Amino acid sequence: MVLVSAARDYINRMLQDISGMKVLVLDSQTVSVVSVAYTQSELLKKEVFLVELIDSISKSKESMSHLKAIYFLRPTSENIQYVRRQLASPRFGEYHLFFSNILKDTQIHILADSDEQEVVQQVQEFYADFIAVDPFHFTLNIPSNHMYMLPAVVDPPQLQQFCDCAVDGISAVFLALKRRPVVRYQRTSDIAKRIAHEVSKLMYQQESGLFDFRRTEVSPLLLIVDRRDDPVTPLLNQWTYQAMVHELMGIQDNKADLRSFGKIPKDQQEIVLSSEQDAFFKANMHENFGDIGINIKRMVDEFQQLARSNQNIQTIEDMAKFVDNYPEYRKMHGNVSKHVTLVTEMSRIVEERKLMMVSETEQELACNGGQVAAFEAVTNLLNNENVSDMDRLRLVMLYALRYEKESPVQLMQLFNKLAAQSPKYKPGLVQFLLKQAGVDKRTGDLFGNRDLLNIARNMARGLKGVENVYTQHQPLLFQTMESIIKGRLRDVDYPSVGNHFQQGRPQEVIIFIVGGTTYEESRSVALQNATNAGIRFILGGSVILNSRRFLKDLEEAQRIARTSSSVV
Amino acid sequence: MVRLLVSRGQESSNLLQKEYMCFTNNGVLSLGLPPAWVDVSEDIAANVERARVKMAELAKAYAKALMPSFGDGKEVQRLIEGLSLEITDLIRRSEKKLMRLSAAGPSEDSNVRKNVQRSLATDLQTLSMELRKKQSTYLKRLRQQKECQDGVDLEMNLGGSRSQMEDDDFGGMGFSEHQMARLKKSEALSAEREREIQQVVKTSYQFHFSTKSHALSFMNSYFLSFLQVAQSVNELAQIMKDLSVLVIDQGTIVDRIDYNIQNVATTVDNGLKQLQKAERTQKKGGMVMCATVLVIMCFIMLVLLVIKEILL
Repeated sequence: MVLVSAARDYINRMLQDISGMKVLVLDSQTVSVVSVAYTQSELLKKEVFLVELIDSISKSKESMSHLKAIYFLRPTSENIQYVRRQLASPRFGEYHLFFSNILKDTQIHILADSDEQEVVQQVQEFYADFIAVDPFHFTLNIPSNHMYMLPAVVDPPQLQQFCDCAVDGISAVFLALKRRPVVRYQRTSDIAKRIAHEVSKLMYQQESGLFDFRRTEVSPLLLIVDRRDDPVTPLLNQWTYQAMVHELMGIQDNKADLRSFGKIPKDQQEIVLSSEQDAFFKANMHENFGDIGINIKRMVDEFQQLARSNQNIQTIEDMAKFVDNYPEYRKMHGNVSKHVTLVTEMSRIVEERKLMMVSETEQELACNGGQVAAFEAVTNLLNNENVSDMDRLRLVMLYALRYEKESPVQLMQLFNKLAAQSPKYKPGLVQFLLKQAGVDKRTGDLFGNRDLLNIARNMARGLKGVENVYTQHQPLLFQTMESIIKGRLRDVDYPSVGNHFQQGRPQEVIIFIVGGTTYEESRSVALQNATNAGIRFILGGSVILNSRRFLKDLEEAQRIARTSSSVV
Repeated sequence: MVRLLVSRGQESSNLLQKEYMCFTNNGVLSLGLPPAWVDVSEDIAANVERARVKMAELAKAYAKALMPSFGDGKEVQRLIEGLSLEITDLIRRSEKKLMRLSAAGPSEDSNVRKNVQRSLATDLQTLSMELRKKQSTYLKRLRQQKECQDGVDLEMNLGGSRSQMEDDDFGGMGFSEHQMARLKKSEALSAEREREIQQVVKTSYQFHFSTKSHALSFMNSYFLSFLQVAQSVNELAQIMKDLSVLVIDQGTIVDRIDYNIQNVATTVDNGLKQLQKAERTQKKGGMVMCATVLVIMCFIMLVLLVIKEILL
């Protein structure tokens, strides 16, 4: 049950039975789905010679009847309209329609109505409606992600859209895995509850025939939680490779964009970071920054050796051997320069923004107690000229989340200081965060200071000392996974929907975070899966967050909440 | 899991399918002829297929040639020679045709052509690499066998000429990218050398033939095969170089599907922008010209009028 192979399998089946030259037509969502799972050269091997977006394919009128069209689309009414128009005056020889989710009967009727020339060969549902970035991590890339923070009374139509997207994505994952899960959700979150109920309704009532798979002994578990239960993780600076790249540069569909950084050679401006295609990245995506440096050094050495052996060619055999190895050599060359560029650029940013210093304080705030020292450290960093505005904001947010109740006076001091130091700071953003994700709203024990047991455990860890100051933080998800493994997830906090209860320990658990996942959590899940063979976890979310995205969502939600409350 | 809703040409009791078929009316499907380049691409594909078959034969022939036998092995040798020539020829011809496929302009059709070209280039590259690999392993095995069986007096002659060829033609030749260019230059030189060597071989062959020694002719055929393999390695290296421009490197951004779509979109956008700009300048140029002419005419008329007033 690995998501990437499920998606690849779907695409393979789409392409293999249709012979001859093909054109693949996608929409903006399925482009990402296909791109992370498949490559251009693989498509070429399957005789797909043109890939186009649905809106641009309908602009041209040029007839290409020697091509067979394969449409892979989400079943939205917009896409159906595009297909309808296309079928009225077909440009291609044959049409094979694949939809990434459950198609409504009315939509099929519309398609049938418009297929007057009988060019449609087949219509199928292939449930690849999720973007499988890593084997155990998927995202839905929902565009208006900030919606989840708004209360239901504020903006119903767009919120409904957000819910529908999430429900579609989750149900597609389970259809692809051929499972019907038991659904549980975080009690304190309205949006998690709403999505959980809608998913459950779809799986057990509306489409119960579709979801009626061969029973497994124990049904898998779907746990829907809210991002606001752990607002700390997306606010921290990251020091493991994949997470760090996303934090400092941003990864979109396994692709890092370096165009804004200047002085990057043209072929390195966009970089593919896929654990499926890049062995070095696969081995190092969860390593910390220091180890990456050492490993890259080793890779460069290896490469130099290879390059040197290519330099001295004495016999014709050497020459033949070189020509054989040449593609390998080129591939390695590209890979080496890619990772070297990335790491160089990242260490420049770390140096420029003084991230070592900032991150140390962040980790202190997230993991250890000591309010007085923390206050001092945050104040010092606020005064430091080199610290960027965003880092200041994050520090104050972390302090506020941690010492919300203990020290309101000092918190006010920090707010004032922040407003004075950072001109771009929107007043009230930290307060908005506290209102959204304050201690009263949270279910999980985020800082490990609620019950005595956790406090004791925390202290024990403090005595033992930590290996690396910068990566000592464990996301809340880690605790959640542990309690699932031990079967200690409390029914009061995480109730099930309907009367479908878990019997025994689940073998497969899918955790969906409304509001977005982080790569730190993805790492946590991957490490968990590597150690424990008993239970397999899959992580999914509405988007993949870094702190920039999280703050942007927060700002957006605050803006909407304020305008709507002023209207009311 | 997959749900099949509608499929033509397949009996199905699916309710939706029946409904679907009821809704569609019978219409006539008009099929246009595919553009001419499709034939070219099919030709190349057929060539590749043929070369693959030949390759299998070649592998068999190699195995046979490596088997110890007391005949002179000339027939096998000839077969190998013929086959590798044929394959190299097929690859070369396909490569020439491939270059004809390329098209300019950002239209969809040229995009398809570019992609077809790429995929065929990848096929050709793997094919030529396979051939090279086979040849080099064959060569290596041949050497090993030879070293075991070498006659003493023969070594002088053949060993000498062999090492001469290596030293002169390929010795010290680094094969990095910029040195690829040097390969081309030295190609003419090496061809000449090869001719010389072949002559040497011929004379020695005659000499050996007159002694009627089995072992000698055996060795000779090995040497000939060595030469011939060396030649085709050279040729393939050239083809490889030309193809590598077309082939997509896996794991790079060029291999991303969405990147390719974006690229098309930006080129189309850029084209449109250029067009609009051109239109604007054209329009502007015409207007400005027209206005200038009119203004000048006005002046001339005015002057004429004044002159007329003054004079008359």
